[in-house]
Amino acid sequence: MALTKRRRREAFWFYLFVSPWVIGFLAFMLGPMIASVYYSLTDWDSFTAPKWVGLHNYTELLTDDPDFWHVLGHTVYYAAISVPLGLVAGLWLANLLNKRIRARKLFRTLIYLPTLVPLVATSMTFMRMLAPSGPLNKALGLLGIQGPAWLVDATWIKPALILMSLWGAGGATVLLLAAMRGIPRELYEAAEVDGAGSTRQFWSITLPHLTPVIFFNLVMGLIAAFQVFTQVYILAPKASNAGAYNGAQTMVPLLFDQAFGTYHMGYASAIAWLLFAVILVFTVIAFRTTRRWVFYETEVK
Amino acid sequence: MAGVLTTTAPERTRVDGAPPGAPARRSADRVRAFRATPFTYATLIVVAAILTTPIVFAVSIALSSDATVSNATFTVIPREFHWENFSRVFGSELPMGRFLINSVIISVCSVAGQVLSSGLVGYAFARLRAPGKDALFLVVLATMMVPAQITMIPQFILFRELGWVNTFLPLIVPNFFSNAFNIFLVRQFVTRLPSQLDEAAMVDGLGFFGIYRRIMFPMLRPVLIAIGIFTLTYTWGEFMGPLIYLNDESKMPLALGVQYITTTSTPGQPPPWNLVMVGSILLAVPMVIVYYLGQKHLYEMDINGGSAGLR
Repeated sequence: MALTKRRRREAFWFYLFVSPWVIGFLAFMLGPMIASVYYSLTDWDSFTAPKWVGLHNYTELLTDDPDFWHVLGHTVYYAAISVPLGLVAGLWLANLLNKRIRARKLFRTLIYLPTLVPLVATSMTFMRMLAPSGPLNKALGLLGIQGPAWLVDATWIKPALILMSLWGAGGATVLLLAAMRGIPRELYEAAEVDGAGSTRQFWSITLPHLTPVIFFNLVMGLIAAFQVFTQVYILAPKASNAGAYNGAQTMVPLLFDQAFGTYHMGYASAIAWLLFAVILVFTVIAFRTTRRWVFYETEVK
Repeated sequence: MAGVLTTTAPERTRVDGAPPGAPARRSADRVRAFRATPFTYATLIVVAAILTTPIVFAVSIALSSDATVSNATFTVIPREFHWENFSRVFGSELPMGRFLINSVIISVCSVAGQVLSSGLVGYAFARLRAPGKDALFLVVLATMMVPAQITMIPQFILFRELGWVNTFLPLIVPNFFSNAFNIFLVRQFVTRLPSQLDEAAMVDGLGFFGIYRRIMFPMLRPVLIAIGIFTLTYTWGEFMGPLIYLNDESKMPLALGVQYITTTSTPGQPPPWNLVMVGSILLAVPMVIVYYLGQKHLYEMDINGGSAGLR
């Protein structure tokens, strides 16, 4: 390729400037990815020489390890409930905040505040919130409901984790509210003239305009939920809480335990690739459905 | 899409009779969708109260006496006010001060790394021309798809070979190589800046690095502040990285340290919940302050609007 001297100099500087990323990409991304594929095909404790086992780790995970399917089930359950529920709650709150209310800023701050709290601190707080005689069960008691042992019972630990995730629904609220305020007001005036009530205005104007933001939050939320780790690791620890551990173990804590608890590096690497596959499948499904429900303004111009 | 009300609103005669272009807010706020009822307020107050309860409860536990902790007789509304718990954690009982210093070191170095590297890389992708640039940028975007778990184990092996386990280096050093999301943010920001400035500087004989350092870097302030806030928030709360790499109590950052003290209490004894909650509050308060100080910059960046562009 014939480049002028100036162009060549510019290209030189370009590659010099992007070299941090290129080096980081090779050392911390591409190299490790290739290594991870190789590890996943071996039996390796990371101290002795790896033993080639071909696809054995994958076949064992998929056909021979009952734990894996439970764990995958818990992960899908958590993602499939917490993410849509969080979005519905976030949307509902955003719609309330979008009304002509006093002290909107105060309400918005109070709803957003939980999302600023680091997960470790949230987990610590919810360990006490959901304790057998903690505030939640006391409140349920006032309603005449006997609250379960959220954090010990294998059937209640997943709902407990979902409750905790709902506490952070305000993150979506703020994004949705920002998008709502960008909807042209004239649309509402026109609907008003046509006699549409507030419910009809919400379903026919507000919601369609928000579908791109909802879609974005859905995809990002699903990806994050499949990778849930901190709160599961803290609230359902393997060593001290077997009941909860059996009821709530998700993919990344399993991977972590295999890699850094029992040093099954090959097996753990295979789990990582299966997790990637699961995330990819759900993302592709989400994108496939967009034509049916995601509305882009440019389409009607 | 069925049921969508569309109209070329700005062109048609305004319902309120105001001339086109006049503020529509007043009349539009009267439409039913924006009408607040007592029910709206009641719902908001109840929701706000529920969402605030865990925070008040955490403060209440943090102010509890040791006797309350061992009986687990906490109340949501504080009944006792043992403010000394906040100084106790810095005494000989717990290494909370050490945790805090470690968190600050790791976070500050990580922020510096991301800000320095992402600015330069993002600028290059936005402004400089080179063969293979577009293909390389596609690779940058593709890396956003790869979940961290894939590279976690090989990275651990790499850092262990380098003798970096039980040091801050595995948590800090990768930040000096920037990341895809931050590169993308800077690139988007630079493309919106007028290019006459750097062209003029080039005519004046400034080299590419000179242009970056003297002209671009100061103009990138808003986006670099946003990247700084994101990096700080992420590193400050990061749990799994420190859990993998740091074994010594004296090396742990606060996020790991707080969890660590709940696992090391004497058998048969509950963890020192009051001090754990003081730690949790120390973990949360800086994030609230950072958000409060930084929200102006975040809105300036229009990060929210950017999300609507995903198709």
